[in-house]
Amino acid sequence: MFRYLLKRMLTSLLTLAIILTVVFILVRQMPIEGYFDNFDKLDDAVIQASLNRMGLRDPILVQLKDFFVRLFHGDLGTSARYSVGVPITSIIARKAPLSLQMGLISMAVSLILGLPLGAAMARSRSGFWDKFGTAFIVFVTAVPAAVYYIYIQSFGSSILGVSMLFSQNDWRTWILPILSMAMGNTAYYAMWLRRYMVDEMSKDYVRLATAKGVKSQEITMRHVFRNSFVPMIQYIPTSLLYTVSGSIYIESLYSIPGMGGLLVDVITRQDNPMVQALVMIYSCIGIVGMILGDLLMVVMDPRISLSRKESGR
Amino acid sequence: MPQTEPVLSVRNLQVSFRLRGEVLHAIRDVSLDLYEGETLAIVGESGSGKSVLTKTFMGLLDSNGWIDGGEILYQGQDLARFRTEKEWLKIRGRQIAMVLQDPMTSLNPLKSIGSQIEEAVRLHQGLRGRPAHDRAVECLADVGIQEPERRYRQYPHEFSGGMRQRVVIAIALACNPRILICDEPTTALDVTIQAQILRLIRSLVKKYHLTTVYITHDLGVVANVADRVAVMYAGDIVEIGTCREIFFDPRHPYTWALLCSLPQLGIKGEALYSIHGTPPSLFGEIHGDAFAPRNDHALRADFKERPPMFTISPTHSARTWLLDPRAPEIRKPEILERLKGEGLTHV
Repeated sequence: MFRYLLKRMLTSLLTLAIILTVVFILVRQMPIEGYFDNFDKLDDAVIQASLNRMGLRDPILVQLKDFFVRLFHGDLGTSARYSVGVPITSIIARKAPLSLQMGLISMAVSLILGLPLGAAMARSRSGFWDKFGTAFIVFVTAVPAAVYYIYIQSFGSSILGVSMLFSQNDWRTWILPILSMAMGNTAYYAMWLRRYMVDEMSKDYVRLATAKGVKSQEITMRHVFRNSFVPMIQYIPTSLLYTVSGSIYIESLYSIPGMGGLLVDVITRQDNPMVQALVMIYSCIGIVGMILGDLLMVVMDPRISLSRKESGR
Repeated sequence: MPQTEPVLSVRNLQVSFRLRGEVLHAIRDVSLDLYEGETLAIVGESGSGKSVLTKTFMGLLDSNGWIDGGEILYQGQDLARFRTEKEWLKIRGRQIAMVLQDPMTSLNPLKSIGSQIEEAVRLHQGLRGRPAHDRAVECLADVGIQEPERRYRQYPHEFSGGMRQRVVIAIALACNPRILICDEPTTALDVTIQAQILRLIRSLVKKYHLTTVYITHDLGVVANVADRVAVMYAGDIVEIGTCREIFFDPRHPYTWALLCSLPQLGIKGEALYSIHGTPPSLFGEIHGDAFAPRNDHALRADFKERPPMFTISPTHSARTWLLDPRAPEIRKPEILERLKGEGLTHV
């Protein structure tokens, strides 16, 4: 177990280093015009001075070395263009908590709605809940999110009688964005849980449990639901962590001051330190999420063991 | 045996399934008595309805199947009239327990062996906590599993096929049933393991005075375990009798054909006997004797009218017109004379 984790950590660090190097080199291939709002009107000396200040004149390998050295000292640097001179950590510390909060709540909502819906669909195969759930899933997958987000915003705010825009201190304005965010995942969880449960229900161990006199409700809960949830649990840490990144569309729709769209924003404005920092954070989230997911699987499924190679699934 | 009262009595049972919009008659008018303490084997080829018949005893028919008519009498109740889960919960496990065919899939892979046995102990023996645990460990020891305390905590994937079948048997016993149904309990196992499992079931049946129904298509198994044998064909019992009667004095042409195809009767260098043709489709009505089209000895009456059950002895009856006084005398195939004990009593 410990050896496995150590190995995973090392390969993760390697992965991270490769990602950062590639991104670092890529952003430096951008035309230098992008670093200035009014490139045409500036004279050459100002431009050169600016580039020097941003450290873009050094040979790329030297820049890369400096970047990693600073990173090892825990210094993500300061924003170069987004809000000049402000430490990146403080920008993120300002924006991330709100996205994280909303993301976590919406995740909880989608689990609370999606899992019972999926279970009800599996139990009432081709009954009411199954038809209702299928309609919901088809709707959410087929209709572009942008369309129903707008409907939720305009109708929802008039029904609830709240402002269309988000305000952090009014809890009622949290409802609609969270609901919008939860829609996709609710459908997703319901669909997969139904699928896995239907699979499990036709298995022999369910028949044996019935034959030994277990109530069908208890079989659904104690045997089928649990076994069906295991393949889904692997992805939950990842999606949990990714809520930090926020939702571009929903955050702009309700003008929520979160992380959503931050990465796109800093890429278009060629704020290299910000791009690098955000890429690093998101990569870490992905990597840590996957490790956590695998560990959760080990906890939930006795057939999976980390210490022995041959006992994979 | 008929002098004692039957534990379970099936009267004119009919079961149908709806498959792709058509109705399939899986059980066509079956009557059967099960006596206290006996071991009854039900033999027949795949699709003859032997599994379906026993499933009706526990309300385990798939959702597209239903009982069309007849009764299943058990302790003064008609199981055929049970509709709700609540009624069945009084029967399942507690009165009738089942061992399924494939031990590799009949245990929940994510639950420990012990907890799966304990589930049955809690449900049917009213024990909780420590006593339930101890009882489950006892059950494991009972089915011949070494180090039961350690095995209790293990998971199904840590057990071999034969061991898992022992666990499945332990679960059935943990329910403390009166009747044990073994649905091809050895089909999915290695030949060497088969013999062990059969021996185990036989000793446990004796120890707990269980009434047992064995479903199998292996006549070797039948000779090994059964007191009585029922031969099923196309959803009907065509012949029923004691083990001796079925093997040494079979009367129905289908029983003859089944016995003829025993590999023990083959002559070296010659092809084994096999029954030509295919079983009839169970969609729609079957006229006469269902086996007639494949029967070399079929009489004209066999195609016209379903033969009644003719009684040969108090324990032996068969559903064939050959037993009618008007029928010409047709003797069983000569080859069956060679069935004199040899090669039958071992698996």
